[in-house]
Amino acid sequence: MSGIDRRTVLKGSLGVAAASALARPALAKGQTIKVWWNQGFYPAEDAAFRALVKDWEQASGNRVELTLLPGQALNEKIISALTSGDVPDVMYADNAPAQIVPQNAWKGRLVDVSDIVEKVKSSLSPTAIQSAQFYNAEEKKRGYYGVPFKGATLNIPVWKSLIEKAGYKMSDVPKTWDKFFAFFEPVQDKLRKKHMRHTYGLGYTLSTTGDDPNNTFNQLLVGYGGGGIVSPDGQLHTKDPKVRKAVIDTLNSMAVPFKKGYVPPSALNWGDPDNNNAFHAKEIVMTPNDTISISVAVMDNKKWYYDEIATLQLPLDNDGKQVPALLGVELAFIPKGAKNIEAGKDFISYLVQPKHLGSYLREAKGRWLPVMPEIVHNDPYWLDAKDPHRPPAVRQGVLGPTLTWFYVFNPAYAQVDAEHVFSVAAADIINGMSPDQAVDKAFSRMEAIFSQYQIPHQA
Amino acid sequence: MSATTAGAAPTIKAPRKRIKPFALALELLVCVVILIWTLMPLYSMIEVALEHQDQVFSGVLWPANPTMANFWKVLGQGYWYIAHFWHEMGNSLYIGISTSILTLIIGTMTSFVIGRLRIRHAWIVSNAALLTYTIPMAFLAIPFYRVMQIYGLSDHLWAVTLVEVTFATPYAIFIFQQYGTSIPIQLDEAARIDGATPWQIYWRVYLPLMAPAMVAVGTYALLLAWNEYLYLFLLLSSPDKMTVPVALGRFLNSDEAPWNLMMATAVIYALPPVIIYYLFRRHMSSGLTMGGVKG
Amino acid sequence: MDATVGTTTLGDAAAARGGIRRRLFGEGPHGSDLNWALAFLVPYVAVFLLFVLYPVGYALWLGHHPESYRELFNDPIYLKTIVNTLVYLALGVNLHLFGALMLSGFFTRTNWRVRSLFLVYILPWAVPAIPTFIAIHWMLNGEWGFLNNLLYAVFGIDGPSWLNYRWLALFSSVGAYIWKWMPFWTVIFLAGRMAIPQELYEAADMDGAVGIKRFVHVTFPLLANLYLVCTLLSTIWTLGDFNTIYFVTGGGPALSTHVLATLGFRDAFEVDNPQLGMAAVLSALPLLIPLVVILMRKLAKTEVQI
Repeated sequence: MSGIDRRTVLKGSLGVAAASALARPALAKGQTIKVWWNQGFYPAEDAAFRALVKDWEQASGNRVELTLLPGQALNEKIISALTSGDVPDVMYADNAPAQIVPQNAWKGRLVDVSDIVEKVKSSLSPTAIQSAQFYNAEEKKRGYYGVPFKGATLNIPVWKSLIEKAGYKMSDVPKTWDKFFAFFEPVQDKLRKKHMRHTYGLGYTLSTTGDDPNNTFNQLLVGYGGGGIVSPDGQLHTKDPKVRKAVIDTLNSMAVPFKKGYVPPSALNWGDPDNNNAFHAKEIVMTPNDTISISVAVMDNKKWYYDEIATLQLPLDNDGKQVPALLGVELAFIPKGAKNIEAGKDFISYLVQPKHLGSYLREAKGRWLPVMPEIVHNDPYWLDAKDPHRPPAVRQGVLGPTLTWFYVFNPAYAQVDAEHVFSVAAADIINGMSPDQAVDKAFSRMEAIFSQYQIPHQA
Repeated sequence: MSATTAGAAPTIKAPRKRIKPFALALELLVCVVILIWTLMPLYSMIEVALEHQDQVFSGVLWPANPTMANFWKVLGQGYWYIAHFWHEMGNSLYIGISTSILTLIIGTMTSFVIGRLRIRHAWIVSNAALLTYTIPMAFLAIPFYRVMQIYGLSDHLWAVTLVEVTFATPYAIFIFQQYGTSIPIQLDEAARIDGATPWQIYWRVYLPLMAPAMVAVGTYALLLAWNEYLYLFLLLSSPDKMTVPVALGRFLNSDEAPWNLMMATAVIYALPPVIIYYLFRRHMSSGLTMGGVKG
Repeated sequence: MDATVGTTTLGDAAAARGGIRRRLFGEGPHGSDLNWALAFLVPYVAVFLLFVLYPVGYALWLGHHPESYRELFNDPIYLKTIVNTLVYLALGVNLHLFGALMLSGFFTRTNWRVRSLFLVYILPWAVPAIPTFIAIHWMLNGEWGFLNNLLYAVFGIDGPSWLNYRWLALFSSVGAYIWKWMPFWTVIFLAGRMAIPQELYEAADMDGAVGIKRFVHVTFPLLANLYLVCTLLSTIWTLGDFNTIYFVTGGGPALSTHVLATLGFRDAFEVDNPQLGMAAVLSALPLLIPLVVILMRKLAKTEVQI
């Protein structure tokens, strides 16, 4: 190779290597993509994302117009965009996998991103992979309509200090399902004897607004064996007696303590921040909550974070077996009609390279779980024994058995959650309806909703 | 009676009343009731705004250690949600004031035509304006999103102003029409005799007499824009176009939201319109002590 | 037409103007006036064509699918929602307008106490809805909310769990709504009162009509039209109000305090079915259209009378 020096060859071969790493023809430069991204929970998280954006801009020679908005607002903006057809290139919102992606994948409004997912498939957990496949009713098959990058499961923060104040030790906490939750009732009784008039043992959110009620109900349902309520092929199994029993048990497990006075009465109208507020004000001893945000929110209060609050994993089921945790997987997705699909795909590919993803999620103070086990194994941050909250969440949500959310299998379940069908059922039982009646009412509404989203078997 | 008696200090003017004790007591009672009614929710906001971070939900009636620190933090942009508070306030003011001015201009011009120039089919305009209200503002989100994209106005502050003006103007027209029925048409006619063009009548006769209604409608338009939330993040995307309500919405995004800061921001945000209203308030007292008796 | 021609024409017609004007009532008097009128109308017509026709048309089109309505009527909470909406309208609109009317009279007083109170009184209107209604939501919390703490401290009674019962929650929302919007209407009625010529009050005083009599015989007849227009408009606007219920009760407990606006919002943005959401609000058209028609008739009567 006369006339060409080694550096040129080196550059050339690096270029070829880079291009083949991306496994696509070289991306054109000078484009601008529009990215709509959910606001982070900490400034460091947003800063980390912006840094990632800048890195990609330099690496690809393109620009990003970034819009960071809070979740509910972003939902409305995304839905307006998808309905009207004037869409950005890349989108991610916390609630989108539960409220936007299933319906829009169904209608064929999202771009298939199998090419991105395939490249990182070996790094992704099986649940994450399954959580990205949605049914497209126009093509009558499932496809990858989002790229998974982070997830969350239901954790149970508890006030160690209150448990100890009631005269118990953390080792007294039972390991199996019913006994675990029942434990908080005598805790409340003892605390009441110590003049804590307004403290309640169980902080279940029983309202019909926000995500907490659905996160709580569905996970408790899985704990009682009802995880088969919707099968991966999108079929509803309300006629299955095991499912029916599980639903009744779950509803009772919430309604009965409420009637006995162990759940704050206002839980019937809690918005999403309300259980967090109640917990921080020590008005409830425990509250199921997705992610470890309740603990991380008070990270600066060392006494609380390290000594007084503990994050417990889900207990074992009544037979002593481990309960899979429903893993809410967050997705980056691309709408059809986006002006720069290739560049958008390139950006998402950059995001989900394990080392970029790992540092981005670490900046979020570990509030979100990686969907790639290798990140957790390679970085000691995630299982740092000195932190009392992150390792339990990671062990449960990344290393332990996880389950895909039901709305991935069929958009009808997304509507069931949005209508809070089961919270209504719990409230009905509290108001005196028999559990069987309440479940019949809930099931008939579910069946009506599912009748609009019929997926042929074998899909 | 004609306009010329306006200036003469009426000798028939009622003597300044001394308030009887009973009437005074009654007035004070009403004042107290209104004060409690108005302040209770505001108080619960201010109470939170005066708390320290970890005592926000201590459930007390008055903070154990009240602190003005949160207010200073907002004004000093000391938290990431409000890191651009002043810029966002500037945007809010820009949208609010431009909405107000544009609504006043378009509203008075239109009601002038309908009410004063007596064009035969002018009522069509006011009836058509009512079409604006058949669908609530919140549900026109998707259509307006599309419209602004089509007109190339997306991510411009003017997009929001125009939406607000669209919703404020019909109401402005109605109020001006209602109010204008009390202004005798003879005033217009007198001006015509003096050779005034419609523009001059509008500018020199109509507008000054409409002053109280203009203050009311101007405040209404300002506060319509001030109370907006949905369209601010729907039509705007870049960080430099964000406004205070969107900043407030950020607090709802997080579980660790410092509610004391949110309430402090909200209280501060409420003040500019009240100040603006206060500055214009003297125009609220009527210029209509003159003029014919309305039938 | 240039000004001199116009002036000359005006000058000639001035003498006979009284009679001619009556006969020409309602007709565009002069060509130049018509041009002026059109010029003055251009801004609003532009706004209307650009920003009302297309958006409203698009919205109506979003809501035109019959299956949306079938789905809507099959929603188990639809009937309850309609009842809630009617109660919300009946109470919310009438109470806060009536209160505004009464208070607008109070606020015509010119002493410093009342004037400074007025500035505090309009704060609810200026304070942003979302944090305020969230604060009200907390205030009404049964266990640790401000209201119950106050009741306990002052009267020693344990207040109810305000938001746990359908009707208490709904009335609380109505209260919050009145609290926020009554100041706005008060300002409008205050302006309306300013339009009443002082001589009328003086004449009434002479006849001995004071206080309530004065209100009934002088003030209210003159404000009646304004009051009716405001009632109709407030009804239309309250139909579309979702912030209050959304943040104060969240539609709960158990979806029992939804109104059409919040139901439509949930269907559009949480179930992600904008057509269904639009159908929810449009299903109020049978109530809305008569209101709009009455309003149109009322407004047609507000031509200037001599």
